Amino acid sequence: MNQHFFHASKFIQRVRPFLIGKKILTSAMSAIAFALIALIPNAFADETCMSPYMAKIAGQEDYVYVWTLGAEGVGDEQDKLVTISVNPKADNYGEVIDSLSVGGRNEAHHSGFTDDRRFLWAAGLDSNKIFIFDVHTDPAKPTLSNTIEDFVSASGGVVGPHTTYALPGRMLVTGLSNNQDHGGRTGMVEYSNDGEYIKTHWMPTDDALNGATKSGQFADGFGYDVRALPRKNVLVTSSFTGWNNYMMNLGKLMGDGEAMKRFGNTVVIWDLHTRKPKKVLDVPGAPLELRCAWKKDNNYCFTTTALTSEIWLIYEDENQEWQAKSVATIGDPSKIPLPVDISISADDSRLWVNTWNDGSTRVFDISDEFAPKEIYSKKIGDQVNMLSQSWDGKRMYYTSSLLANWDKQGENTADLQYFKAFDVNEGQLEEQFAIDFIAEGLGYPHQMRFGAYALYQ
Amino acid sequence: MNVFRWLVFTVFVCAGPAHSHNNELHENTAPIVLAPGYEALSYKAPVPGTYELPPIQPAANGAVLRSSGDDAQLHSLFENKIVVLSFIYRACDDINGCPLATFVMQQLKSELEQNEQLAEKVKLVSLSFDPANDTPEEMRKYRDSFGNGAVDWEFITTRSDEQLFPILEEYQQPISKVSREEGGTTINHMLRVFLIDSRRFVRNIYSVSLLHTDTLLSDIKTLVAENQQDAQIARRNTPSINYAESREGYANGVYRSQSTSLEVNGIQMNLLEEASGGALGLPKLQSLAHYTSEQVQLGRKLFFDRRLSHNNTISCAMCHVPQQGFTSNELSTAVGMEGRTVRRNTPTLFNVAYYDHFFHDARETSLENQIWLPLLAHNEMANPSVGQVLKKVAAIPEYREGLQTIYGSAKPSMQQIGELFAAYQSTLISANSRFDQWKFGGKQDALSSLEKQGYELFSTKAGCIACHTIEPDHALFTDQRVHNTGVGFQRAHNNNNKPRPVTLAPGVVLNIDPSVYAAAAEQPQPDTGYYEITLDPDDRWKYRTPTLRNVSITAPYMHDGSLSSLTDVVEFYNQGGIDNPTHSSLIQPLGLDNNEVSALVAFLMSLTGDNVSHLIADAIAAPIGDTRASN
Repeated sequence: MNQHFFHASKFIQRVRPFLIGKKILTSAMSAIAFALIALIPNAFADETCMSPYMAKIAGQEDYVYVWTLGAEGVGDEQDKLVTISVNPKADNYGEVIDSLSVGGRNEAHHSGFTDDRRFLWAAGLDSNKIFIFDVHTDPAKPTLSNTIEDFVSASGGVVGPHTTYALPGRMLVTGLSNNQDHGGRTGMVEYSNDGEYIKTHWMPTDDALNGATKSGQFADGFGYDVRALPRKNVLVTSSFTGWNNYMMNLGKLMGDGEAMKRFGNTVVIWDLHTRKPKKVLDVPGAPLELRCAWKKDNNYCFTTTALTSEIWLIYEDENQEWQAKSVATIGDPSKIPLPVDISISADDSRLWVNTWNDGSTRVFDISDEFAPKEIYSKKIGDQVNMLSQSWDGKRMYYTSSLLANWDKQGENTADLQYFKAFDVNEGQLEEQFAIDFIAEGLGYPHQMRFGAYALYQ
Repeated sequence: MNVFRWLVFTVFVCAGPAHSHNNELHENTAPIVLAPGYEALSYKAPVPGTYELPPIQPAANGAVLRSSGDDAQLHSLFENKIVVLSFIYRACDDINGCPLATFVMQQLKSELEQNEQLAEKVKLVSLSFDPANDTPEEMRKYRDSFGNGAVDWEFITTRSDEQLFPILEEYQQPISKVSREEGGTTINHMLRVFLIDSRRFVRNIYSVSLLHTDTLLSDIKTLVAENQQDAQIARRNTPSINYAESREGYANGVYRSQSTSLEVNGIQMNLLEEASGGALGLPKLQSLAHYTSEQVQLGRKLFFDRRLSHNNTISCAMCHVPQQGFTSNELSTAVGMEGRTVRRNTPTLFNVAYYDHFFHDARETSLENQIWLPLLAHNEMANPSVGQVLKKVAAIPEYREGLQTIYGSAKPSMQQIGELFAAYQSTLISANSRFDQWKFGGKQDALSSLEKQGYELFSTKAGCIACHTIEPDHALFTDQRVHNTGVGFQRAHNNNNKPRPVTLAPGVVLNIDPSVYAAAAEQPQPDTGYYEITLDPDDRWKYRTPTLRNVSITAPYMHDGSLSSLTDVVEFYNQGGIDNPTHSSLIQPLGLDNNEVSALVAFLMSLTGDNVSHLIADAIAAPIGDTRASN
């Protein structure tokens, strides 16, 4: 994605002879550099999915922060940030070491760090609250430092804060819905790292394309995820559905013919610098997570369509025009596999795709980005949603929950609502430990973010 | 200066050992990759003045030390100019860190020197992280190494870390210091360069991957253009009203989006005055005389306030969406707090004050009482009690003020809350449709011949008028009674387990076996209609006759929203509804041909009131009620 920094380690080798000298190498070996983290933001990711502006963890992560939905009848029934010790060298490895309840059920969903990685912004799709956790003062014990409660009115009517994406000194928060009709039209909202509202960027609609080209049949104004490709001065956004649908019981939704027409069918290419939309691409069937390739000349991103179960490539063609193309089918679409979280490997060779309904994780070989091929799959649980991989691809973490009212119900088994840690050994997943979030009285685990002491030393 | 020369120069000037490096790095012989700021911009820089740079935060102040040795406030150095502020230290040798910032500022200086008019509006400031080593004298020498010229570039420092740290905190530049074995200190920090406008607001922040002379220059020129013209890109001020997009043809793939912007301003009306003036086709509404404009306004505010639900997430307007005919076009049946299932379709509120019973099952008898059911229903707004609602409203300053004015007390009663809601909803009168103008206004050409034919069928062969009544001088299009059409019976006896077509995307309809998502599906809720109120078996699956006014904008239809178009509805009745034990004898097969169906639909489409867009515009102008205001 951000090629200038991807190869930073190579850069250091070349510079050393005249900049550094052997002595420095010794001192260098003993320290973790904040500046270096900033210098090579991509080189130590979890997190092959994070903002390129993000400070990154070096090596082994110590903690996984799990933004967890409260559930009626489970523990204190409210949303919480759960901290799990994941460093095998730690005495409490594999244990929940902290749980911070925030009050209410907010439809806890995604979370993201500020660019300096000192704060974790965790959003609630229902309550529109954004909880800002201090994760740097004591990475083992996050504290709630601030709560944004006026997201809807401050933004001029955006509902459903989703992705919290770091830009320099700012956070870009994508919306899923709006206050006029709780449908899917929405905008992106920019905040300062201090939590002050800056501006709303509305998704382009047919009557207000705001300079964008409608390249196909659709310009729905819907939103979901966002990723940046700074080298190309590009932001990419995807589109899901509004509050009515994401809050509704999945069975009711599938039976509601009107509601099923209200899903996103677009990916939008934006000018990163000016935040203006440039091109609206047709990607029918609710394109969700976006992951962009890392290598210098790999000017493309992947997304998967939740309803039609396809992998789509969003790419810049030989004429520097951005295009969208369906490049693979995931499972049997008539069985509604529902691809959810995806993760791209650091070398751009693998795309991990979770399919929620069959509880499976699948690996696609994307060496040819136009022809992904499934090479591995494994059932993780009764349902599966999020995954996070370490930058070196050696560790993989999974959680189960999709949305409170889309999750599977019925008898609670250890495979229904869980956190699971795996090692990846020669392409095979080997389970290290699992935590049953119902049995532990925690709730439904959703997004994971990594924490490490090394970041703040 | 080319990049290579710059590197050597930087090494020379910095003259210090490198900062620390991460132990995860491995030896590698690949070439250097420099930050984009050292290279030609890989894309076209934005055209100045064509975009906005919204203020991010106020630029913080603090005590600093000039290279002259004089104490100063940081703000005083800004001189009401556009400022580019970077944080550096001389010993920094991270090539993509401080040297990058200084390189870009040097480049910027060169560019500005070509444009004196611009140069005098800009100031460059480099502030040191390292007061111990970067003394004023050293900073002066450092500055001199970049030469003089028309551009004001000031290198400053602070007296101590104590003086420095508050500034760093404000600019979110946390640092950590690491002693070097060979002596000296490495200061770890994140590179951030700030663009500050003449009113001392931060307007852009650049990181390693975004700092580039070309974009910085575009941004500076954008701020200059803004200053000169005082131009704020105007918010769209179109009072155009956006009906919900119908998404017609979605299933068969002919759908092309026609979405509309959310960024519209509403226009507030004097609702009571408008409503009191009456509307052709409807009788004068006597109850309006009981309300004041203050009550209507406060009721309107309550109606659009998200805080009226227990967890502050849904207002009445989230189901009764003004742009969607005060119903929800996008759902067959409604969704309540936390996504809880509501088993019936949201009824429209147009002309609701004319009803003598409320809800599909006619369970309530006054508009004033009606509001308490959705306010308290667990699957709607889910408030825990009457008392909690009253307490919540009384705790919100705007309501306290309004209640004091209207009722002489800031603490509302249950009846007063009901009255305020009723006051607003009573003003949602919409008639004077083309049909009204033709039927009651004597305007012969107000309807087309097809619509007139539809009216004839409506009144005769199709028999619709038996329930959707029309009087000699007005028409409510409802007999205010309950009837069994069979829709409820069918729903209660449906087999939900058969594979059925599900639309997954435009033109993508798959036959899906419900068992594939059964684990995530709740059981359908029972619904026996008016029987639930009377417990009389004869009343099973009976529902109240809805008005037909504005029916063209209140899809989907029937109490369960099961029919998505008016054609579907007419065809349903053409078949005589669905036979069942308490089926209404008024509903019989009609024998309408396709042309007659079309005529009936055309007639129904003529029933849209002439003030719908005004009522919507007024609704859009209503403030968003959310939690901050309650603090």
